[in-house]
Amino acid sequence: MKLSRRECLQISLGGATLGALGWAGGCAPLAARLTQRDDVASPLPSGPTAPELRLLNRSGFGPRPGDVALLASQGRISYVDQCLAAAQNEPLTLSMQLHRLDALQIDAYELRDLPEDTVLSQLQQAAILRATHGANPLLERMVDFWTNHFNVYGRKGLAAYRKGRDENDVVRKHALGKFPDLLRASTQSSAMLVYLDNQLNHKGIPNENYARELMELHSLGVHGGYTQRDVQEVARCLSGWTLDLQWPRNRGRLKFEPSLHDDGVKTVLGKTIPPGGGAKDLDQVVSILCAHPACAHYISTKLCRYLLGAGPEAARWVEPTATVFRQTGGDIRAMIRPILLSDDLTTGPLIMKRPFDLAVSLIRALGGVTDGGRPIQEHLIKMGEPLYQWPMPDGYPDRTSAWAGSLLPRWNFAAALGRNQIGGTDIDLEALASRGSEGLFELTHGRRPNAEDHPVMKALTHLSDQPKLMAAVALSSPAMQWR
Amino acid sequence: MSKQTQGSDWWSCDGGGHTTFSQSGLRCNELTQNWMPSRRGLLVGAGMGLVGWMSQRTALADLAIAPGRKGKNVLVTVFLRGGADSMSLVVPFGEANYYRRRPNVSIPSPQDRGRNFRALDLDGFFGLHPMLSPIHPLYHSGKLAIIHGCGSQDETRSHFEAMSAMERGVARASQGPTDGWIARHLASTERSDDSPLRAVAFGSTMPDSLRGATHAVALNSLTEFRLEGEDADRAQIKMALAQMYKPGQDEVAHAGRETLAVLDAMDRLDPGTYKPKFGTTYPTSDLGNGLKQVACLVRADLGLEVACLDKGGWDTHVAQGSELGTFPGLVDDLGKSLAAFAQDMGPDLGRVTVVVMSEFGRRLAENTGLGTDHGRGGAMFLIGGGVQGGKVFARWPGLEDSHLDPTGDLKVTTDYRDVLGEVLLTRLGNQALRPVFAGYQPQSIGLIKAT
Repeated sequence: MKLSRRECLQISLGGATLGALGWAGGCAPLAARLTQRDDVASPLPSGPTAPELRLLNRSGFGPRPGDVALLASQGRISYVDQCLAAAQNEPLTLSMQLHRLDALQIDAYELRDLPEDTVLSQLQQAAILRATHGANPLLERMVDFWTNHFNVYGRKGLAAYRKGRDENDVVRKHALGKFPDLLRASTQSSAMLVYLDNQLNHKGIPNENYARELMELHSLGVHGGYTQRDVQEVARCLSGWTLDLQWPRNRGRLKFEPSLHDDGVKTVLGKTIPPGGGAKDLDQVVSILCAHPACAHYISTKLCRYLLGAGPEAARWVEPTATVFRQTGGDIRAMIRPILLSDDLTTGPLIMKRPFDLAVSLIRALGGVTDGGRPIQEHLIKMGEPLYQWPMPDGYPDRTSAWAGSLLPRWNFAAALGRNQIGGTDIDLEALASRGSEGLFELTHGRRPNAEDHPVMKALTHLSDQPKLMAAVALSSPAMQWR
Repeated sequence: MSKQTQGSDWWSCDGGGHTTFSQSGLRCNELTQNWMPSRRGLLVGAGMGLVGWMSQRTALADLAIAPGRKGKNVLVTVFLRGGADSMSLVVPFGEANYYRRRPNVSIPSPQDRGRNFRALDLDGFFGLHPMLSPIHPLYHSGKLAIIHGCGSQDETRSHFEAMSAMERGVARASQGPTDGWIARHLASTERSDDSPLRAVAFGSTMPDSLRGATHAVALNSLTEFRLEGEDADRAQIKMALAQMYKPGQDEVAHAGRETLAVLDAMDRLDPGTYKPKFGTTYPTSDLGNGLKQVACLVRADLGLEVACLDKGGWDTHVAQGSELGTFPGLVDDLGKSLAAFAQDMGPDLGRVTVVVMSEFGRRLAENTGLGTDHGRGGAMFLIGGGVQGGKVFARWPGLEDSHLDPTGDLKVTTDYRDVLGEVLLTRLGNQALRPVFAGYQPQSIGLIKAT
């Protein structure tokens, strides 16, 4: 491993921390460790809705070799609770790799030495690394959900430089916490602030952009019962939250500027906010939004659809989930636990993987390793999901129809991965070659083939003397597109 | 300059001849006349509607005997994502309140001789954004028509609701079918010998207008639309893919089969060597590249019927500006790309219709950030050889404060589906407009030439 000066510094400074992090797997390379886990594999279940596979696909980014068997022996409840706790230590290798990324470590203004592309690339690298190698799959899964729910377009207003902090202090910190804390944290994110123009929302004529999306996309949903008047009133409440431009003292952090704040009386969703509230107006707004019945309903609807797909199963789960939201003050763990344990999760409709999900899950399926660098990021661009680069505030779509029309770049990704031709990403081709067509199918699909898989098995058997092509083809199958 | 016309609730400006709305319903043998048009509208409506209908019959007859899929007419949609400011694209310089409400974020009048940066006069009332000068000649040659004050009935001012309504061909997002209007158009005109490449979306994701479409594919670029690898490997992988995707009945299996069919069709195409005609140089932007590839596909005659392109960045809450700001750059690319496409197409523009649209326009009053917030009435552009151009079509409601909607926005006075419907009927030979637009019967505006 080649280390830059800064990286050496990071590691030496972080020595104490790294020691304390601990590492369950010892010092063996990650790939080797994972291959060992494969040895405990017992016979895999078959059929497209193999429940263990489905749970691993929904509660994380799919199985690594051996995970399906591990889950089967651990039991579903124990596994889900372990996921919900998200208390596993990060692998040491991952921690070291993340420590080397300036975009996660340094404040926005100091980061300005780096080009925007570099910052965006580092942010993506972190996301790929964490999703592929992180120890807490459900945390990574929910980070994907909330990152898109609270989407920030990195190429607007230098938001990329602020997104690292947003990702850590907002999304990751609260991904499995309480929704009101998450929402509140997001309103204190300078990345969100500049993305939705609130630094220009002043007393007088407000800028409505953030106020509108705060209700429409972040909390209530477009049919959540608010009016244009409410948008304007919330904008008044948010006025004065701006960037501190005093350099170097505060270096572009968020600040509340009373002279820019509209301190008159406001009415939001029928609730009066008395005059003179200043910065506290924002807390009032967050409280009003989170207590509104539409919030519990809207957040539950989105969560259910993300975890259960677009079928009647998700619709059935909305009201029970909203009830948990209301009873627990928006406890995300409490909301998703029953869903993860439900049969609807394993028998409901399939959901098409987004490209990031596909990339990560294929590498995981093969027990591969990646540094998350530019070459794999190039594939994400071609497949249509360069992270932090969806311009609109609604986040990347999760409808099958949005993605089914662009399978070709997915096939090309699968082919490049299957032939081990992606720089910075490694799979053990020799181990794959020794598996034969059935073993390869089981490894990639996480289950034994059944009658419906006959065409895939036929295609694999036909290529059994060409292991590279066989892996490419197995990774391109229709089943690999679904979670 | 604007004044109220007789007997109806809409306004017109008779200064420049841009209020010619013929209101003939686009039914095949029925002209609806339950409206109160302007004098000019009445004259044009009675004549044009009938002629349009007859020529339509001729066009359909031609289609029926046309051999295979060659030489089909093509629809190109350019969706300006984010709510493009219609009042900067097509400047109502005849409105005093436009300049009162926008001291900074307005485009100077063509009559403002003291400024180099000023609108290009279209008809004495409306002017084109100066950076759209590359398409100004198309207006004068009758190949560019502009519709102002159009949109859906969605009043949420949400990008996503408004886009969803428009891409699904419905009045507002909360109602109607979930598939896209182009998908329904394709389904209702399906033929057994259709090309696998009836519709292409340039980009990484499929727009909602094509949701549920068969024979449609999303791609970033034609040159990248190939299986990677050595020739021998590619052939084997392709064969294996065909095997694996053959039996399935789900969305992914369908899409896989179509992708493979498009790969076959593309084998006959070498997009890397495409040379634009007539000395055309496209901008190197996404839109310029996209339109260049549309031109390549049209020329290749692979049976393309619809191409969908996007241009984002129009949500100009901040620093929209006038001569400076983010808006001029966006418009510059739009104008140059569209002009290059029209030039490159040359005579083939006769079978192409480009529709430029956005989910909504923006508020009349500027905000404190030199930008504008979400509004209502938008502008649509039609470009093509069959377009009855050289006019701004508008039931102009006026911009005085009392003429705006309660939020202070330009009212929507033309349903966007009237524009799309007329194009589908007259240019793409689709008579089943009611299903395409979820029960709505589009009205004829007279945007398309009678041939």
